[in-house]
Amino acid sequence: MVSERRLHPASFFFAMGGHAKQLLLPGILVLISARSGSGNWDTLAMVFIVPFAIAAAVRVLSYRYRFDDGELVVRTGFFFRNERHIPYGRIQNVDAVQNLLHRVLGVADVRIETGGASEREAMMRVVSLDAFRELRDHVFEGRSAIAADRPETAAQATGAAFVRAGAETILHLPIREVVLCGLIEGRGLVVLSGLFGVLWEAGLIDNILGTLFGEPTSGRGMFRAIVGQGMPSPARIAVTLVAFGTFLIVVRGFSAAWALVTLHGFTLARAGEDLRLEYGLLTRVTATIPMHRIQALTIQEGPLHRLCGRVSIRVDTAGGNGVDPAQAQRQRLAPLLRRGELERFLHAVLPDHDPEAIWNAVDRRGFRRKLTRSAIVVAFAGAALAWPLRAWTVPVFVLLFGWAIVHTRQWIRRLGWATTNTAVLFRSGWLWRHTTIAPLGKIQVVAIRESPFDRRLQMAGVIVDTAGAGGESHRVRIPYLSRDTADGLAATLAVHAARSTFKW
Amino acid sequence: MGIPLLATDVPRWLLTILPLAWTAVTAALIWQTFRWPQIQYRHASYRVDAQGIEIARGVVWRSIVHVPVSRVQHTDVSQGPLQRRYGLGTLTIYTAGTAYARVNLQGLSHASALAIRDHLLPRRSDDGV
Repeated sequence: MVSERRLHPASFFFAMGGHAKQLLLPGILVLISARSGSGNWDTLAMVFIVPFAIAAAVRVLSYRYRFDDGELVVRTGFFFRNERHIPYGRIQNVDAVQNLLHRVLGVADVRIETGGASEREAMMRVVSLDAFRELRDHVFEGRSAIAADRPETAAQATGAAFVRAGAETILHLPIREVVLCGLIEGRGLVVLSGLFGVLWEAGLIDNILGTLFGEPTSGRGMFRAIVGQGMPSPARIAVTLVAFGTFLIVVRGFSAAWALVTLHGFTLARAGEDLRLEYGLLTRVTATIPMHRIQALTIQEGPLHRLCGRVSIRVDTAGGNGVDPAQAQRQRLAPLLRRGELERFLHAVLPDHDPEAIWNAVDRRGFRRKLTRSAIVVAFAGAALAWPLRAWTVPVFVLLFGWAIVHTRQWIRRLGWATTNTAVLFRSGWLWRHTTIAPLGKIQVVAIRESPFDRRLQMAGVIVDTAGAGGESHRVRIPYLSRDTADGLAATLAVHAARSTFKW
Repeated sequence: MGIPLLATDVPRWLLTILPLAWTAVTAALIWQTFRWPQIQYRHASYRVDAQGIEIARGVVWRSIVHVPVSRVQHTDVSQGPLQRRYGLGTLTIYTAGTAYARVNLQGLSHASALAIRDHLLPRRSDDGV
């Protein structure tokens, strides 16, 4: 008989914590009645909280798992018993999440995912780190012989011990790079608005405004002064610009702090056919992405990225059953990467990828079509602004139109597509550039789209659909192709897709 | 006079335009009901081969969608009451894609919908995830 494992004793508290939401209302009731002095608050506490405690205890005590030959067996339930057999070969992810409390207690929340189910196959809340390591070793040894020579380091709760054991590090971000990532990405507004909300709730905003402007109404007064009185004086414009600049810098500062907390110690490593990610200062996330599950990879590059010679890389993976788009996940594979290391990185992550892709431009008539669109937008904007701008309308209009021409020219120049033996590539954007690599084996559907404007000029666009592309994904949608090119490309891609079998 | 009369409140030009607009809208609706489906039908086609299925449709904005056989996750053949009356069926193909997670093919005879479904059904045995 193979020995069975149990959850960590601390699981009971986390199981209770999982009920926190349901317990919130009864908890408040108990508190209120305790305060108002009516003597039955302890009864209320018994009625509401004790059943949850019993349920949690039953769940924790009845949870057993064991490692059989080739499968993981999880037994749950006391009255209604359930035994689940999960073959190692079917397990896609073994992820561990540790928040601060987990780390103090030396435990982790472990999630086991398989390709077929829409729900997580097993949630182990919580097991000790040694148990997690043992579990992962069993799963991966069961899957393939990747870990034959894995040197198991002494149990280290901190650092990137999970990721590094027997794996080859692809990317590790030192603190400097993490801060730079925060500065470039500019998530500060999210942090700041959250902070603002908290301050507002606490009633501190009025105090701060009061100290800054002397009286509570001056905020509105200032706004009115800037907007209402026609053309402001140069001094006022300067003050506003400086204030705005300071605001932007503060926001970037918050963003850097945010990155420091969420991305601290970011490490990406490769162990056999899996990529392992580990990051986070307070909540530590350990994730595993099997390399064959990468559906598409996108290289992002904004103006600040280019200034610092960096890029950032995301991948789409299809989790769960993949049919439901909500299951789609976007993972940041490299929050920040030096441009020079891109080729090495791509080779490590997509070994089949051919770096010598020959880019094709879109049809030359694309420039005129795109410009027509921009011109219409500019014309409308100009018409709408004619009344407030009066005499300034013509120069502003000329400026906007000039910008439209420059932007369109550069945008069309950057737009391109390529096919290699293993993937289809698409790049777009001028200031914010995206390049997406979709492996041919991951192409789901190939479509040709033809608008009436396309038809007039014998043109068309090609759409390549992959699994796991979320709302903000950069998708392969190649516009402004000549009809012949579009037909040829679609036919080639469809043939390639049909030949290969799709593996999740 | 407290009673607002329609004829006095509505300006005259509107009174002449309204019936014209009504006629135009009705004509457009009739055309849309009787003529538009014919045009749509003329622009809709499909092709099934060993590689997969190709569906073309759209009158103004046209599209041709290729779904390789190897990417078909599962298929539905459905029939509404009217479709049953005329022996028609709708074939729905599900893929793992995002924008084209489900692809519809309407207006097939029920028998051919079933035949296409059988053709598209995954035959591979190595369905390893």
